Amino acid sequence: MLVLSRLAAELGRLVKLPVVMGEIIIGIVLGPTILGHFSPHWHNLLFPVFGNVSIALDGITKISVVMMLFVAGLEVQMQLVIKQGKAAISTSLLGMLIPFAVGFASAWYMPVFFENQDKDKFLYALFFGTAMSISALPVIARTLMDMNMFKTKIGMIIIAAAMFDDLMGWLIFSLIMGMMGHGKNFAAIALDIAYILGFGLFMLTIGKKIIDKSLPLIQRKFSWPGGVLSLSLGLCFICGAFTESIGFHAVLGSFIAGIAIGDSVKLKPKARDIIHQFVTNVFAPLFFVSIGLKLNFMDNFNLNLVFAVLIIAIIGKVIGASIGAKLGGLNWRESFAIGFGLNARGAMEIILGSLALSAGLINEKMFVALVVMAIITSLFSAPFIKLFVKVEA
Amino acid sequence: MDANKLKKRPPYPFETIAVAVAFSPRLEALLYEAKQYADTFKSNLVMLHIGEKDPKKEEALEVLIQHIGIDKNKSRTIWMDGEPTETILNLCKLNIVDLLIIGALEKENLYKFYMGSIARNISRRAKCSVLLLTHPSNKPVRVKKIVINGVDNPKTEYTINASAYFAKANKIKELTIVQEIDMPGVALTIAENSTAPEALKIKREMKDEAYTKINCIIEKMTAENLDINVTDVTGKPGYAISNYAKNKHCDLLVINSPDTHLSIFDRIFTHDIEHILADLPCNLLIVHSRI
Repeated sequence: MLVLSRLAAELGRLVKLPVVMGEIIIGIVLGPTILGHFSPHWHNLLFPVFGNVSIALDGITKISVVMMLFVAGLEVQMQLVIKQGKAAISTSLLGMLIPFAVGFASAWYMPVFFENQDKDKFLYALFFGTAMSISALPVIARTLMDMNMFKTKIGMIIIAAAMFDDLMGWLIFSLIMGMMGHGKNFAAIALDIAYILGFGLFMLTIGKKIIDKSLPLIQRKFSWPGGVLSLSLGLCFICGAFTESIGFHAVLGSFIAGIAIGDSVKLKPKARDIIHQFVTNVFAPLFFVSIGLKLNFMDNFNLNLVFAVLIIAIIGKVIGASIGAKLGGLNWRESFAIGFGLNARGAMEIILGSLALSAGLINEKMFVALVVMAIITSLFSAPFIKLFVKVEA
Repeated sequence: MDANKLKKRPPYPFETIAVAVAFSPRLEALLYEAKQYADTFKSNLVMLHIGEKDPKKEEALEVLIQHIGIDKNKSRTIWMDGEPTETILNLCKLNIVDLLIIGALEKENLYKFYMGSIARNISRRAKCSVLLLTHPSNKPVRVKKIVINGVDNPKTEYTINASAYFAKANKIKELTIVQEIDMPGVALTIAENSTAPEALKIKREMKDEAYTKINCIIEKMTAENLDINVTDVTGKPGYAISNYAKNKHCDLLVINSPDTHLSIFDRIFTHDIEHILADLPCNLLIVHSRI
């Protein structure tokens, strides 16, 4: 899985395709879609559905997703949103609220079309709204860097808004996962919200102070880079275990742990690089390949659904973020550039969909639609930005 | 005084220097340093005391002024009652103050950090340049090492020029401009999708772009007999340069004034100047370019 995904990613890189696309393609090739279809014997031999191998692979992918959200959290910097001011705040808020509302309304009023046959309508609509509102920071950052727009005003607003949307998206998703266990017990839901807020507040205040005090000691006195690597990932898993124990998915804990550590001024850039390299190049490919192993993409590909999800995602995000940017004082061209910049969904959308699929919140057809939407929006983000902004060479 | 005269007024020369006077153990040292700067820049000195005009305090201040040797022809004292921060800020506007000198602790307790002390609040909001002195002394102290934050901002050109003016008046031969290199999200992107040469190229291009902008500013300067070094540090803006100044035992750190109004959220999600104000590495000069 690791070798093939790396080879596919390197081939994809040559033609400027997102790395995640190569990894998913390998999963599709090795999974029921291709290998499973043409040679079920080899497919079952390599990836048995039952038994120890299956359990081990499931465990690895669960750990992988926890670590991936940890590194995503490392990059979230709320002070960037504050620093960029009104434009970033309005872009972030409307870039989140409008696609969320459009997604929610779509799933609420057309549940059957959006593959909700038997799930709680409210929860399903909440999830779909969240899925429509999320952005992918790594893809966006790469796009902006390639276009030499990273340090421009537009670039910084896009990055700030993507960070905020990621943060809010994962908070809401975790709440949804918590609510799945409580049904319409509002007291339990209120308690869930209190737990999340309390945990988040603790990690971002007292937790951050403890991290600030500990990191210099660890980076100076412990083995390098083993010390900081194992202890930060250890914290990631501890926080993940905590949120899992209070009824939320472990990704919430790891995401917040990532924010707390990433926000620390004491974390050396080199340490951050090493953590990124370790997770992004070992565990992330395993996760994305496993997505293709899970299901038959051809059998679960519903063109109407894919098209609808794509259109709703694009319209909601582009219009929401554009209006937000315009209200923040930018002109319409810049605003639309920001809208399309934020439209790239990439890996975050795929992770969200995968977790929802595993939890039984969505079915395979919706998951495939989300994956296709994530890839298409990531591929077409840069060309559309260029339509609206003259980019300096 | 017409406060509109403040708009577009250049940040230097320092024609009027004000000093915030509080009857604390450091008052004599603060006044001494203010006098030194007023003499160096040939400025008028305004002493601001916020509080009721008390004959005992008046007398004590008079004694100090005479002891330090402040020229009465080029100085005056203003006594005003009111909320300290607002009153000082208003007085600075009304008196067209170019440089306000205040004493400040290097680090404050958690409550004061979030709620804001007088010195920090003034630093955030003043419409003139502010010089925060962490260890004022009543003996002559020579400023030798000055570090300037070369952040990519339209104000930086004014800050660098103001620093050159400061250096020239204080007979300092060398300035160091430090650029902070920080690009959020880049680490994740490089990890995923770049070969080693590509990653190095990205990092080098980031630095080159920063250096090019600073070199353009330096070329426009008419700074005779002044060595200007340019270097860079990687890390969070504000914190990285503060750390640099501390490690290099600098005497003065010079930065731009804040671009926006700063609130408690800027302390909760600490960034830029807030990192520096949280733990002053040395004396701090905040240049207000008034653009």
